[in-house]
Amino acid sequence: MKAENDELIKEFSSEKIDQLDEIIAKFKGKPGGLIPVLEEAQVALEYLPVSIQKKIAKGLNLPLSRVYGVVTFYSFFTMTPRGRHTVRVCLGTACYVRGGKALAEIIEKNYGVKEGETTPDRKFTYESVRCLGACGLGPVIVVDNDVHGRVKPGKVKDILNAYN
Amino acid sequence: MAKITIEDLKKIKERVHAETALRDGHLRVKVTVHMGTCGIASGAKEVMDSLLREIEEAGVSDIAVTTSGCMGLCSREPLVTVEILNQDPIKYEYMNSNKMRQVFKRHILEGEIQNPFVLARGAETQK
Amino acid sequence: MKVFRSHLLICGGTGCHASGSLNVKKALVAELSKRKLSEEIKIVETGCNGFCAMGPIMVVYPEGVIYMLITDEDIPELVEEHLIKGRILERLLYREPTTEEIIPTMQDIPFFALQELRVLRNRGLIDPEKIEEYIARDGYQGMVKALTEMTAADIVQEVLTSGLRGRGGAGFPTGLKWKFAAASPGDIKYVLCNADEGDPGAFMDRSVLESDPHTVLEGMVIAAKAIGSHHGYIYCRAEYPLAIHRLNIAIDQAKEMGLLGRNILGTGFDFDLEIYQGAGAFVCGEETALMTSIEGKRGMPRPRPPFPAIAGLWQKPSVLNNVETLANIGQIILRGGAWYASVGTEKSKGTKVFALTGDVNNVGLVEVPMGTTLGTIVYDIGGGIPKGKKFKAAQLGGPSGGMIPIQHLNATIDYEKVAELGAIMGSGGMIVMNEDSCAVDMARFFMDFCQDESCGKCTPCREGTKRMLQILTNITQGKGKEGDIELLEEMAPIIKDASLCGLGQTAPNPVLSTIRYFRKEYEDHIRNHRCDAAVCTALFKSPCQHTCPIEMDIPSYITLIRANRMENAYKMLLRTNPFPSVCGRVCDHKCQTKCRRGKMDEPIAIKFLKRFITDNAPRPKTEPVPVARREKIAVVGAGPAGLTAARDLALRGYKVTVFEELSEPGGMLRWAIPAYRLPRNILANEIADVTALGVEIKCNIRVGRELSFSKLNKNYDYVYLAPGAHKSQKMGVEGEDIPGVHGGVEFLRDFNAHEDAWVKGEKTLGSRVAVIGGGNSAIDAARVALRLGADVTILYRRERKDMPAAVEEIIAAEDEGIKLEYLVAPLKIEAKDGKVSGITCERMKLGEFDRSGRKKPVAIPGSAFTLSVDAVVASIGQAPDLTFVPKDSGVSVNKWDCFDLVKGSKSQTTDARFYAGGDAVTGPDTVIGAIAAGHQAARDMDAAIRLAAGEPAYEEPAEEKIDIPLIIDEEGEEAPQGKMPELHGPERKTSFVEVELGFSMEDAVKEAARCLRCDAEV
Repeated sequence: MKAENDELIKEFSSEKIDQLDEIIAKFKGKPGGLIPVLEEAQVALEYLPVSIQKKIAKGLNLPLSRVYGVVTFYSFFTMTPRGRHTVRVCLGTACYVRGGKALAEIIEKNYGVKEGETTPDRKFTYESVRCLGACGLGPVIVVDNDVHGRVKPGKVKDILNAYN
Repeated sequence: MAKITIEDLKKIKERVHAETALRDGHLRVKVTVHMGTCGIASGAKEVMDSLLREIEEAGVSDIAVTTSGCMGLCSREPLVTVEILNQDPIKYEYMNSNKMRQVFKRHILEGEIQNPFVLARGAETQK
Repeated sequence: MKVFRSHLLICGGTGCHASGSLNVKKALVAELSKRKLSEEIKIVETGCNGFCAMGPIMVVYPEGVIYMLITDEDIPELVEEHLIKGRILERLLYREPTTEEIIPTMQDIPFFALQELRVLRNRGLIDPEKIEEYIARDGYQGMVKALTEMTAADIVQEVLTSGLRGRGGAGFPTGLKWKFAAASPGDIKYVLCNADEGDPGAFMDRSVLESDPHTVLEGMVIAAKAIGSHHGYIYCRAEYPLAIHRLNIAIDQAKEMGLLGRNILGTGFDFDLEIYQGAGAFVCGEETALMTSIEGKRGMPRPRPPFPAIAGLWQKPSVLNNVETLANIGQIILRGGAWYASVGTEKSKGTKVFALTGDVNNVGLVEVPMGTTLGTIVYDIGGGIPKGKKFKAAQLGGPSGGMIPIQHLNATIDYEKVAELGAIMGSGGMIVMNEDSCAVDMARFFMDFCQDESCGKCTPCREGTKRMLQILTNITQGKGKEGDIELLEEMAPIIKDASLCGLGQTAPNPVLSTIRYFRKEYEDHIRNHRCDAAVCTALFKSPCQHTCPIEMDIPSYITLIRANRMENAYKMLLRTNPFPSVCGRVCDHKCQTKCRRGKMDEPIAIKFLKRFITDNAPRPKTEPVPVARREKIAVVGAGPAGLTAARDLALRGYKVTVFEELSEPGGMLRWAIPAYRLPRNILANEIADVTALGVEIKCNIRVGRELSFSKLNKNYDYVYLAPGAHKSQKMGVEGEDIPGVHGGVEFLRDFNAHEDAWVKGEKTLGSRVAVIGGGNSAIDAARVALRLGADVTILYRRERKDMPAAVEEIIAAEDEGIKLEYLVAPLKIEAKDGKVSGITCERMKLGEFDRSGRKKPVAIPGSAFTLSVDAVVASIGQAPDLTFVPKDSGVSVNKWDCFDLVKGSKSQTTDARFYAGGDAVTGPDTVIGAIAAGHQAARDMDAAIRLAAGEPAYEEPAEEKIDIPLIIDEEGEEAPQGKMPELHGPERKTSFVEVELGFSMEDAVKEAARCLRCDAEV
């Protein structure tokens, strides 16, 4: 237990680790509790490296392989640190048909990132998503929780510049 | 909020339905308070307030209240038009809170036109 | 009770939030309180209104006036005008996209008027965060009935009667599903709601959860009673935070009131439920995968049987229904299954919600009875395709579905018909695609999605989707091979048959569907490296060049304008086009339809820029080419096709003689298009270049009259037949042969031959002229008649947007005062004293769609009327006159009076020494099409000659190197297309002076700078 926390303490503050303990305690013994734990843990800790997964596995009394399997299966979970803001370009069909691809290309070009990567200054993590259900506004990009609709390629820079 | 019964559910339904009936479009009466600058200056706002209070107290849900701009008869403001479904609109002049209450009770609810306040009957020829 | 005189319902769905409805609401609250109206006027934030493309949306009651695209800055004016002065603020109202008509009230807007709301009955009408408002609209009454008056079996029976089928995709009867689960033994059972709406392009479930969450809860309680369950889950995507937020509120409120939980409403029935957030995996929309996911594992499907009704979540009997299905339940129980089944088709009852998206004017949620036609949804409700583009297909069922193409716009949409057409109903995502979508690319896109989302459990799905994606990607990149299509067709059924769940079983659908309807596009990509939609960028340099029938290097000459290297620009034009100054005036500029700039604001004015070069640069001098070959070639017809072929062949050293029936060369350019569009000297200069090469043009010689066909056959080694289509089609109405009835091209030809006599009035049509038709030659005839002093009316049987004429020509005709009457067709020509005295027409209305995707005009009985006119010009189409070809010549002519080409050739007729092209092969087409045909014929004839002589193929002489600079603006500002300056004033309507004046240098450079340089590789 001690050695495990040592590994964690390098990356996370002790408050964060306490928070994780609370999350695990909340769902311990609850059937199907793994995914909610991972969801809350990711919200609290921003990402789920193997060290965290080990702790969760132990806490929920599950094999690590099971935790790892779930983390890697669902696109919501990430094992690497993220940028301060998440920029998601919708590549659902409606946005794709209306030019979502061009937006993705502009971000990739201007910020030198590929899908799933974070800018070196850790400002943005760039992802593409499959349909946010805001098809009426396509093409759409989402920065954190702000949906920007009817985005034209020339406007991407202005939109992203508004975030620090 | 406490647990409710089936009876309570019906009561909620009736009460809130009255409040939201405005959105259904089944309206019997339309009252227009003319609120141009002149109307407001001569007290149209108070007329509006008293009308809304009356409707609230009477608990009726089939009356629409709207506003419109100056009718060009600034000297006779505040003006109010009452249109009951399938009847000619009636225009009342020099309205105030008291007159409004009277028009509401007698004309809107009971159908008796309040002749002393009437400016004109029938629709305007031009919109 | 608190009375408000007005309720303002602001849409608070995800779509409207994104377009700023929260700010609008804030501004509204502030404005109302500033003006002391807060006590009179109530603001309600509703769920999704469905008309997402027009958000933020606000409906003002009691009037029902709907305002759209509101910003917070509009609020003071809106409050002042509407709420104080009672005047409707027009600029924020809805405008019908096709007619531009302003429609103030919601119920009159076709988008809303044509819908039948059952699932969405509360959308935009209630505050979804207030349970009382749901209750006020019969909320939970179905549940009360189910819990107090009905047995479980009654409920199942009612749902069976309704005919409701699962709205999540598969369409399995909901009542049956419940019956199985009810019959399944066990104390613990689960009711699950699938709110994992992963199908891209579908958002009806999100909308229901956001605008009316209680309706789902009510449906779940009823389902629970029907199967004997006491616990439920709603599995909702984490991507829908607002939906989850509102669901949580709804559940809390319902629990507080005792509408959920123990002893619901004192009936003794218990049911509790919780939300389970998905973590982003499309496959979890599949029922067994969803259950595995709730169990906290990787969401992989399980084999069935056992079915979930027997062993579902945690191996307990479970029913899973999606949001839309459950949203129907309360109403079905309250109003009866028979009520529900009163609309729909035989096997598909009730209504269906479609998420209408893509290239359609009114994007949004649409609920219509089953059996509504695709055309009604796309055109009447959806308002048609933006920017006048053409409908190509609608993708139904997302990545698991298929396309329904233009020829099936009359298809009634229900489970059976959709399946018959090769698509699936799916969850109701309906993505409209216009002509700018490539079928292969869309198939690749969907396959990419399925491949990405395949959970990996079944090998055929995991590996098969990967292989299919690879093949599709290759095809889109020009690396396709013969046999690829067949391979895809072979793999598809294997993946379908050998996969456990819906994802794999449907993944090949988009490929099969696109091959079914757009096989030619696949073949074009593989064999010719062509993508007609100009989407697959690996196949071309720029969309404009790819779209031009002769592949003119448009970005290059546009850049040369910007660099002020006009002579180089002119040379660039002449490389591919012998008639650039003609095309700069009368080309139909297909190139502009695919211009990428058009996606940003408006396309580049390519045609005008081309003309600018030819107007302003000196024309490069043409040197004669010595005859180097012994084969003699004859060309019949001196139109653009014939002259292009003659020029190309002369350049290759052939002796070419062109025979022309009329007194001057030029074909339609000389004899149909009037001088105000194409001045004679402009045309003559370009033809002079052809003769300067050494081509001989012999006018006034008609083959079969001055020169016999057999002589032509004997005297020349090869013949190119390009006589055009110079004969007007008949209208087929009574009185067509009365003097005063003219064919469109015949009139134009006579006018162009005897312009002086017409202008002086020696020849005349009359003072009132009716022109029948909607093509360019109808407009030409009308504008000429107008210039001759007549009062002109064009009669067209469809609507303006259906006219084949170029829109700028239609506008010019309107500007000049020509009357256009739409939806009328001629019935009879009236005569008096043996001359035309009038034309009797009848009014038409639009009926079903024809195969071209336009609505068919149908006569309205009893609508006949007579227009009094002195002349009628019938310009409804042209056909070639090929009577000069003897029947026994070996050159065969088909039933459309056009030349037949041999299979596999684009120019050779059934006699190997005769080639043909232009309008005489295709029927009436464009100048650029004729030029392309001329190029093609010259290449083919030359190749055939060399092949026969055993010579190597022709090699083009090296071209002068023209260096193309790369000047690109880093951030392009939005700017509309430059306007063409036009002639105005009285001169325009009375003379034949050119109307379009041409760009100035400043105009041209500015326009050229708008080019995005798609050809450049950065």
